[in-house]
Amino acid sequence: MSIMRVRWGPQHPVSGQWAFWLDVDGDIVVNMEPDIGYTHRGIEKVAENRTYIQNVPVVERTSVFDAGNIVFGYVQAVEELMGIEIPERAKYIRTIVGEMSRIVSHLYGLCLLAIAVGFETMLMWFINDRELFLDLFEMLTGARITYSFFIPGGVLHDLPQGFYDEAMRRLDYFERRLKDYWKMFFLNRTFITRTRGVGVLKREDAIRLGVVGPNLRASGVEADVRKDEPYAAYDQIDFIIPTEKEGDAYARGGVRFHELEQSVSIIRQALQKIPDGKIRVKVPITPTPPKGEAYSRVETARGEIGYYIISDGSNRPYRVKISAPSFRNLLAMPFLSRNVPMADIPTIYLSLDLIPLDVDR
Amino acid sequence: MNIETIIESLVALFINRPFIEMLIKVLIFPGLMFPLLFVVFAVWFERKLMAKIHLRIGPLHVGPGPLGGIFQLIADALKLLQKEIIVPYNAHKILYNILPLAMPMISLAAMAFIPVAPFPSVGPVDYLVVFYTPYSILVVLALFAIHPFLVIGVGWASGSKYTTMGALRAAYQLLAYEVPVMLSAACVVMVTGSFDLIKIVESQANIWYILLLPIAFLVFFVSMMAELGRRPFDIPHAEQEIVYGWATEFTGVHYVCVMFAEYVNLCVASCLVTLLFLGGWLGPVLPPAAWFLIKFGIVVVFFLMGRGVYPRLRIDQLLNAGWRILIPLALIQIFIILVLAKFAPWILPVTFLGG
Repeated sequence: MSIMRVRWGPQHPVSGQWAFWLDVDGDIVVNMEPDIGYTHRGIEKVAENRTYIQNVPVVERTSVFDAGNIVFGYVQAVEELMGIEIPERAKYIRTIVGEMSRIVSHLYGLCLLAIAVGFETMLMWFINDRELFLDLFEMLTGARITYSFFIPGGVLHDLPQGFYDEAMRRLDYFERRLKDYWKMFFLNRTFITRTRGVGVLKREDAIRLGVVGPNLRASGVEADVRKDEPYAAYDQIDFIIPTEKEGDAYARGGVRFHELEQSVSIIRQALQKIPDGKIRVKVPITPTPPKGEAYSRVETARGEIGYYIISDGSNRPYRVKISAPSFRNLLAMPFLSRNVPMADIPTIYLSLDLIPLDVDR
Repeated sequence: MNIETIIESLVALFINRPFIEMLIKVLIFPGLMFPLLFVVFAVWFERKLMAKIHLRIGPLHVGPGPLGGIFQLIADALKLLQKEIIVPYNAHKILYNILPLAMPMISLAAMAFIPVAPFPSVGPVDYLVVFYTPYSILVVLALFAIHPFLVIGVGWASGSKYTTMGALRAAYQLLAYEVPVMLSAACVVMVTGSFDLIKIVESQANIWYILLLPIAFLVFFVSMMAELGRRPFDIPHAEQEIVYGWATEFTGVHYVCVMFAEYVNLCVASCLVTLLFLGGWLGPVLPPAAWFLIKFGIVVVFFLMGRGVYPRLRIDQLLNAGWRILIPLALIQIFIILVLAKFAPWILPVTFLGG
């Protein structure tokens, strides 16, 4: 048997901005090597040459699909460096934006899973409902995708007038839709056939490979930074961490789906409990934190992101190290792609919700 | 011989009833014009239907009012015809250029054997059919069976890895659907006792075969969907996996031919389902051709609908379904027919096996 070496990307319809080398034996992929680096923008280096505030939109570009949570970690690290405590109201607004960002990102992730199995209706309906939250972002922050809403010291704007009613109305609608989606897509026989038992990541393998986020939770590990090290207002909010035992593509999709329901509940609680008060503390336009270092981690939609910032006492960071979730999940990809049919490669890749932007930085 | 006699003989040759009738049959109704218009309309309708299912609006602009987008296909085809034909370096030059052009020809050839309605004619039969043969169902299915071999040839001749994979998948898929198609068509032939599509329709005057042979209908419809490569079974194309399968390398006129052939195949398959199981042109009040078109349209909608409600299957799952479900079901249907013929022959339209 001869083995054919196929280059899967970056000009492939679903590969994204990177490539895989696939060794294909007939229709079976025997080996897979990721070829990353097509979207390397040197964000960590760029961040060394800008002030702490200028860096907010820069680090946001790590993964614009989940713009809220990506910046969350950075601003928390800067606040830790400067030793400032943000007001309670700002914490709640951050929680709301973070969860909305998670919903938007998970809807995008589920779309990608739908693309992988060629399920156009699921793709369109999820993308359609993403608009609900993008409009809310526009109302709250003025931008739809890249809002750079968090700054060291708090958030940019307060909740606008009528935001509570509008958000509640949309959440009610969205929750009704979610019930339909479960019946229509996740109980669809063909969808189950295509995703059950595909790319099974066992619990011990997931821990050994250092997989994070929903992919880890789909393998049965209950790990979530929001519960383990509560930040912002998560310690005052009641929610559960959805987990699945199977660790296959269907379980990864299912975990994302149940997290959507949890996020809706978190936003509801946060909107009801939000206290009055200031939305940010005064921070100079070019903050100069004292010499030192800080590490902060938050749970983004794709998993845990870590920021390690070293300050040399000037108004620019000496070093910003980003530990991105997709890069950590990437290790599972070659592991899962051995001896699987060619047709399962997109399902495995997109069920892990890997995005090249996040991997390359 | 003067000019007048030449003109007279030319008139005698062309302006006569058999010739004009043939011209109408070949160029207009069952012939060339019908599949052409069908392709334009089907592509537009598919886009609109998918948009409705996806909760989108769909195409709006190129066309009048609610028919927005109907001329888009013509515009696209004209644009593609002007494009440069790119022949890949590794391709087999002759086959790469000939095979895609052969595809629509073979698809259109199948239309010649499809009867669509009764029609007082000077031909061998009083029906609207381009070429009458008593073995028409065999011919149509045989022409259908040529298509996958062209696909395999094209995939190999393109000299690219993705086209090769697409062609191999088409070859595997052929194994899954070809036997069930033949077996379920055999059910109809057994009950009718004829290979003639006209006789098959006429024998459904009392009861349509969709009611008499429901299992055969199911098997035939599903395996036809696989034969056409419609959504749950579009495995040889599988955009997400192998770019565009066997048609990846095609540009310009080759691409137009390939797409045209696919939709003409859809037209032929819908005609076959209508004739074999839905009683063809039979029906009260309305003229026969109208009944045919109504049933045909309903079948087309069901063929198109698969794209909206199903994800794509994997090749091994299709083979499993073909060999473990469709073939046994077709055999069960044949067994039921034999039991009926033995114990309740009055249900069947013709008596056979010695009554």
